Amino acid sequence: MSNEIEKFRQMSVAEFFAKYREVAGFSNPARALYQTVRELVENSLDATDGHGILPDVRIIIEKVNGNSERSWCRVSVEDNGIGVPPLVMPDAFGRVLFSSKYIIRQTRGMYGLGVKAAVLYAQVTTGSPVEVISSTRGSSYVYMKKLFIDMKKNEPIVVEEAQFRKTNSWHGTRTSLVIECDWQRAKPRIIEYIRRTAVIAPYADILLETLDGEILYFPRTTRKMPKPPREAKPHPHGVDVETLKQIIVNTRAETLLELLETEFQSVGTITALKFLESVGLKPTLKPKTLLRDGSVLVNLVDSMKTFKFKAPRSGHLSPLGEDLVEMGIRRLYDPEWVDAIRRPARAYGGHSFIVEMGLAYGGSIQPSEEPLILRYANKIPLLYEEREDVSYKVVSEVNWKQYGIDFPAPLLVLVHVASTKVPYKGVGKESISDVPELEAEIRSGLLELARRLRSYLSAKEREAEAMRRVLAISKYIPEIARSLKIVEKPPEQWKPLEPGEEKHIVERLVKLVSKHVAVPKVRGSPEEPPNPEDIIRSIIETTKK
Amino acid sequence: MEPRIDKTDLEARRKASLTLREHVLRVLRDVEELSPPKLLIPKRTLSNTIYDPEKGILILGEDVFERNMLDMGETRRFMQTLLMASIIYQALVENEYPTIRDLYYRGKHTITFRDLKGSLKEENTWDEQAESDSALRDLEVMTGLLREHMLILSKEKGKVVGDMRIRSGGDIIDLSRLGHGAYAIESTPDLIEFLDYNAEYVLVVEKDAVFQQLHRIGFWKQYKCILVTGAGQPDRATRRFVRRLNEELGLPVYVLTDSDPYGWNIYSVFKVGSITLSYESERLATPKAKFLGVSMTDIFGDKNKKPYLTEEERRNFIIKAKERDLKRAKELMNYSWFQTNKWKKEINMFLEKKVKLEIEALAGKGLKFLAFQYIPQKIQTGDWID
Repeated sequence: MSNEIEKFRQMSVAEFFAKYREVAGFSNPARALYQTVRELVENSLDATDGHGILPDVRIIIEKVNGNSERSWCRVSVEDNGIGVPPLVMPDAFGRVLFSSKYIIRQTRGMYGLGVKAAVLYAQVTTGSPVEVISSTRGSSYVYMKKLFIDMKKNEPIVVEEAQFRKTNSWHGTRTSLVIECDWQRAKPRIIEYIRRTAVIAPYADILLETLDGEILYFPRTTRKMPKPPREAKPHPHGVDVETLKQIIVNTRAETLLELLETEFQSVGTITALKFLESVGLKPTLKPKTLLRDGSVLVNLVDSMKTFKFKAPRSGHLSPLGEDLVEMGIRRLYDPEWVDAIRRPARAYGGHSFIVEMGLAYGGSIQPSEEPLILRYANKIPLLYEEREDVSYKVVSEVNWKQYGIDFPAPLLVLVHVASTKVPYKGVGKESISDVPELEAEIRSGLLELARRLRSYLSAKEREAEAMRRVLAISKYIPEIARSLKIVEKPPEQWKPLEPGEEKHIVERLVKLVSKHVAVPKVRGSPEEPPNPEDIIRSIIETTKK
Repeated sequence: MEPRIDKTDLEARRKASLTLREHVLRVLRDVEELSPPKLLIPKRTLSNTIYDPEKGILILGEDVFERNMLDMGETRRFMQTLLMASIIYQALVENEYPTIRDLYYRGKHTITFRDLKGSLKEENTWDEQAESDSALRDLEVMTGLLREHMLILSKEKGKVVGDMRIRSGGDIIDLSRLGHGAYAIESTPDLIEFLDYNAEYVLVVEKDAVFQQLHRIGFWKQYKCILVTGAGQPDRATRRFVRRLNEELGLPVYVLTDSDPYGWNIYSVFKVGSITLSYESERLATPKAKFLGVSMTDIFGDKNKKPYLTEEERRNFIIKAKERDLKRAKELMNYSWFQTNKWKKEINMFLEKKVKLEIEALAGKGLKFLAFQYIPQKIQTGDWID
């Protein structure tokens, strides 16, 4: 990707946007509306859960009367995040930056380009500036700025600004854009996107107010949050020539040894010395001298890729955790059964990743011929190109019959890939490629969950069978007891049976059945397993209740 | 008015109720000890039906199956068997005479229970009489008590006339003074007491019409016989009655039926018992009963015997056998009691000629021929099949 960025650097912002508009999904008014919502929501989530704040996100889509021929909307997204300091605000929204930072971090947004693309889109379609209202934590003021991007100079032009004294402790950001849109076509996508976001962030309070006046509200179901991602240095396996160049340009290291030790993860002094020896470079060499000869850099990158360094660390990643995956699925689907699994961290090509999966059955999951797959990369829902995705491949290769599932079935699979570099398949970033290491983790996780589901289903079946047996036998207890009692009375002084005369026999039969027939626990109350005799009594006591 | 109950009746009730109670007390012991309650029931299957060549009757084999209350597939039948026992027990101690239809109605009621979701469900103890009949049969084999012993009534079908006096329900009945009518053999033939008689043999005729004809023409008076009909497939009472005449009075029994597999089968039921009710054969079958006719050689003759019919009569009276008659005949050949030489000859002749003949045809030749020539001559010359 960095090569691509490098190319863009040579263009004007206008040129960039002409191209980026397609790539970033602003190709038509429906897609653009969807994309705008996404960019703003993802920024809001990064500004909250990325900093340990429980997110409150409000999304409002309104109709704006502008140009009569085309349909305009105002998209406003408000969060309770860390806020944008007033000095940063113009650049954050009004300068298309290609960050030279080589520090890697698992975030939702990509390159910090998305929001600016939306700002540009608003500017070219409706001529309106972006309006940002923000306050940081601890600040006594709320700042408002309206700004455009100067497309020739790639500079923010602030057209209006204000500041107000805060009367409460609010902090966060509210961003509004007026864009050309196609609500009807974008609506199903936006709603699905919000629903899937609600699944992956059960700790987020999300409200969507649509142009039709509908309100979609997902109150948070937990206050538990994943720990925020931390920044990490690159791993030698994951570095390309361009990144290495950036590192050397920016480093303060005086020697190659120091460079390796300080700018990379998983490289200690001994490893660094061994590596330098293997490539025949002096540890004391000044790093900047390498910049003179491109071929040396290329060779160095090649050697780094093949040298056996320690595996990349994963501590900086921010997986959700099994309980949050479960909670998220419960939040939207209220399944009969759900379980989640987090696979151990792995790496491909120097990039660490963690796969988390959830499997759910029943509840409000619609039965269908294939499992419903919810795919996420770094907590972003992937909605399109499902059949291209490695998860689809793995899910469709499972022999579900073997796990007790007969389609149509209400089955849901959730796959979350957390990584400093998600191996997307195409520029659309809607599907993940079948990198062998990743595919293996998804498969192991899915099969483990499928096994758990199978044991649940077979336990449920056994339980139902046992319950049927208890019922089939117990229902005849009163009749049997009466018959036995009638004949028990000796012929000489025989009198017709009085009501309740057979009570003792009924009691003995209840005891007898509960002694010999396994009475299963009623699901849902494992703390207080009911007395088996009471279950039998509840079958035959038809007058009470 | 107090029902009139005689000693024989009371004794039968006492015996039957004690036997029933014994079985139920055994179940109650299981219940008290909390061990799985079981009913031991001899199997009423074809594979457990055995021909006893010594006794000459069909008997129930040794196979017994356990009806365990805790066996989900058997609980309903377990309940039905005990329900039947309780109804019969109650009828016995209350001096009633239920019919099998009564038993069905007395036991048929709705039981209610709650399913696993707590909603109220209903189920009948039994829905059709086939179920209560089956429970009764299970109870009979389980206790060794026949329904007659438990004073259960069924429709009276058999009839008897002859020079004989019996006591039934305290009354003395003269079977020779019934006019054109006959004595209907009661459902409880064991309660009949034989007083005196003047007869040399018993003639059982398959058909009621032929019975009436022979009665009116005074056949039994002239030939000193007790005349019985089961009016088609005989009921249990008729079979038990015939058995008692043979066993207790030592009278030989001759059976006269149509000349076809259906008639042979009726003879077989009198003689060895029926396959589906083999458990009662011990008391109902008359192994010494003889098949008097009509036989194939009566129609066609053989090298030692002139046929009873002329060529022309034969042409007029015989009927072409149907496919199912032939099939039935082949089935009968498999039964060991039909595997004597005479029976083989009889059946083979039938399969070869593919014709049958009804007794009425002989009466059509002349009632006098049937009564005063055919029957006496056959008995006199010993022209029967055993």
